[in-house]
Amino acid sequence: MRSLTVAPLARLPLAIAIIAFLFLGVFLVYPLWGVLSASVLSSDGTTFTLEHYGKVLAKSYYRASLINTLAIGLLATFVTTLIAVPLALTIARLDFPGKLLLIGLAALPLVLPSFVGAYALLLLLGRSGIVTQALNAWGVPFGSIYGTPGIVTVYALTLYPYVLLPTLAGFKAIDASVEEAAQSLGSSRLRTIWTVTLPIIVPSILSGALLVFIETIENFGVPVVLAEDKPILAVEAYKLFIGETATNPSAASVLGTLLICLTATVLIIQRRYLANRRFATRAGVPSPSNKVRGSWRIIGVVYCWAVVLLALIPFFAIVVLSFMEFRGPVLHSALSLKNYGELFATAGGPLRNTLLFATLAALATVLIGTPIGWVLTRTRSVWVSVLDVTATLPFAIAGTVLAIGLVIAFNSGAIVLTGGWLILVLAYTVRKLPFTVRTSSGILHQIDPSLEEASISLGVSPLFTFLRLVVPLMLGGIISGMVLTWVTVASELSSTVVLYSGPWRTLTIVMFQALEGTGAGTAVAAASILIAVSLIPVMLAYRLLRRYELSML
Amino acid sequence: MTDIRIANVSRSFGSVVAVNNITLDIKSGEFFTLLGPSGCGKTTLLRMIAGFADLDGGQISIGGRRIDRLPPHRRNIGMVFQNYAIFPNLTVAGNVAYGLKARKVASEEIATRVSEALALVRLQGYGERWPHQLSGGQLQRVAIARALVIRPEVLLLDEPLSNLDAKLRVDMRGEIRELQQRLNITTVYVTHDQEEALAVSQRIAVMQAGQIEQLGGPREIYRRPVSLFAASFMGMTNVLPGVVAGREGSQVRVRVGAVDLVIADAAARQGEAVTLCLRPEALRIIAPGEAPSTGEARLEGTVTNAEFIGALIRLDVELRGGTPLKVAVLDDPDSRATPGSTIVLAYDPARLTVFRSGAA
Repeated sequence: MRSLTVAPLARLPLAIAIIAFLFLGVFLVYPLWGVLSASVLSSDGTTFTLEHYGKVLAKSYYRASLINTLAIGLLATFVTTLIAVPLALTIARLDFPGKLLLIGLAALPLVLPSFVGAYALLLLLGRSGIVTQALNAWGVPFGSIYGTPGIVTVYALTLYPYVLLPTLAGFKAIDASVEEAAQSLGSSRLRTIWTVTLPIIVPSILSGALLVFIETIENFGVPVVLAEDKPILAVEAYKLFIGETATNPSAASVLGTLLICLTATVLIIQRRYLANRRFATRAGVPSPSNKVRGSWRIIGVVYCWAVVLLALIPFFAIVVLSFMEFRGPVLHSALSLKNYGELFATAGGPLRNTLLFATLAALATVLIGTPIGWVLTRTRSVWVSVLDVTATLPFAIAGTVLAIGLVIAFNSGAIVLTGGWLILVLAYTVRKLPFTVRTSSGILHQIDPSLEEASISLGVSPLFTFLRLVVPLMLGGIISGMVLTWVTVASELSSTVVLYSGPWRTLTIVMFQALEGTGAGTAVAAASILIAVSLIPVMLAYRLLRRYELSML
Repeated sequence: MTDIRIANVSRSFGSVVAVNNITLDIKSGEFFTLLGPSGCGKTTLLRMIAGFADLDGGQISIGGRRIDRLPPHRRNIGMVFQNYAIFPNLTVAGNVAYGLKARKVASEEIATRVSEALALVRLQGYGERWPHQLSGGQLQRVAIARALVIRPEVLLLDEPLSNLDAKLRVDMRGEIRELQQRLNITTVYVTHDQEEALAVSQRIAVMQAGQIEQLGGPREIYRRPVSLFAASFMGMTNVLPGVVAGREGSQVRVRVGAVDLVIADAAARQGEAVTLCLRPEALRIIAPGEAPSTGEARLEGTVTNAEFIGALIRLDVELRGGTPLKVAVLDDPDSRATPGSTIVLAYDPARLTVFRSGAA
């Protein structure tokens, strides 16, 4: 009798969880199940078989794609960490003029699309790139940036904030007295960094590095621009899928499943490892910025600015180039708005689509993700843990794979979504959900639960307490989360490229198509608008973002 | 009538029994305190009344109306939280008006009731302030005003003073008690501080391991603890194991170490093992030649340590045979009780609590 009734306070979390499970079940689990089953079912779909895996892996080309993806991922993660940790140490321990500006600029690559960065590198240093041609004209030999070097460079320059920000936060969380204790026991300053400081912040570094690793494995935009003939998993899955019939996407599903296995393994390792290694020194007094003098100080400051500016140059270059005239792929140094004119002349308006989709997806993610975040922080039970895992799952799924799954699931049958705009918004919403869930639970951890109890005991129902008290208290965080979701959706390529159709081209698709044909001018204009679209909201919400997001990464 | 009846209430978290089959009646208008160490179940019991902890079994009713299945927002209970739980996004007036708005009270009436409530806690004119502009004590008053303004049937206070500094704590507890008496509202107060409980309560339930160890008025609980736990939790006490050595008229002698103490327990049998509890302040120093007052017994011992803490001097005394004894005396500049000196102590045998071994 009693076991059948739900306690009054458990009703709202349960209702939210049911809605969340329904949404994630239909638009995440079911499509993924489609990918998995397509990879292990025989062509007529009746018997279990591993023949597709055998066939795909028999080709050295696809085996190479697996190895390349892993190797590039590892190399890029290593290089990124190597760049970011000294940067974090310098920023944390040195006081220099313009430091706040530097930190702000250092966070920018988080919102700038790596795909655009890759494209800029191509325009500058590619075979017919501006810098390459200038160097060749002067007779300076210049190697190729295609393949591993280019990809790793772009990853390192666009992903370093993923390591920098948590490491910086880690440095700030170290109580000064821990280091003072080491020094009072006779340890030199360098030895203290090596034996005390670094071991404490290793979990922060690793959590950032693993994010970079996952990001590189899943990324589609950068290799599609720079890999040329080098096979990369996410790109090959896409090519196979476009080439196959949607009713039997077995080979693409094999690559997709392998990709999921890779990222899932990394995520599991991360959770296992980090769960046992949180060195919480009591967040007390942060270590003061040391007065380092002389050459070390100059080297440190120069290093910081060099990294930060180098990462931003490609984006700056794109904006400059967008005001120049292209004839075919060839650039002329005449200033003009022709590129923008061409871009806006294209029917349907990719800009309108990008803005519309980003807005819809950001709204939907907040509407679904915030209540989930609330349930995860405020309720404890088995189904809450299941919800936690399910809502984190999209993080481990490459956009390409999710999109393939969505096509398999909604190409025919009861619900047909392919060919429309809704499937794009759904894909974005599912992909960005883990971010919103994590942000909102992060904010909620800082809000005392007894505020909600006070409201309820004053006679406001749990639902209205959530709407009238919790949401206003979370508002700053919700808005900044929305801005970041909006910005990252605007530059999404990996699932868009699988799911878009006819009138629903986005700015990223314009750029993608320009890679294959002419239209470099419109692509650069699209890239510039994308940069503007990413930067303007971030600038507007910068104060909010600083308070909520950067501290949360 | 807003009495609270708690009948056979239980709750466990996993294998931990937080509240173990408690039955308790709290009278209308009573100031009732749940007192105990952390983890004894006092807060869980309070949260059950408020509706934030579910019952595994049992019933709770207020004023004859069963409430344990009502959702917390329909219980009409005023609650004051340990950390005040003041809504940071609302002004003081907004906080106090919050529950009235939920009850759809007309806005003119809200305005008058809010200012009345603020006046009640001596915060007139603070309505437009923001919570971050207030001190801890002021926030506490806002929390009380907010809980009282809805005219709740009962008022629940969950360790309301634990975040305040020592002096303010003493002032605030007096204010809370005075307010409660003026409004005559049934109040349940949770604390782990025995002095606070003694100062404000009409009745106290001392809790341990999910059960009520002792229920009674402050004086009764302090002076007549029913168990060793209650005796030692309610304040410093000497716990002296001994054996009933003999009887002289109405006086029963108990051998503790190498000395005899006199108790007033007529039922004690010869040779029985007992444990005696004697509060340090129940002993007083008399001059070596001075005879104790009628009915008093005397003891001799050597002072091993004297701790001066202002109003009191706490003495560690060693009795013959090495039995340690704690003694507390009022500060006295002429005191002879310096370490190493031998002193004579007098006590009233009626102030010794006797636990039969096995029963305690």
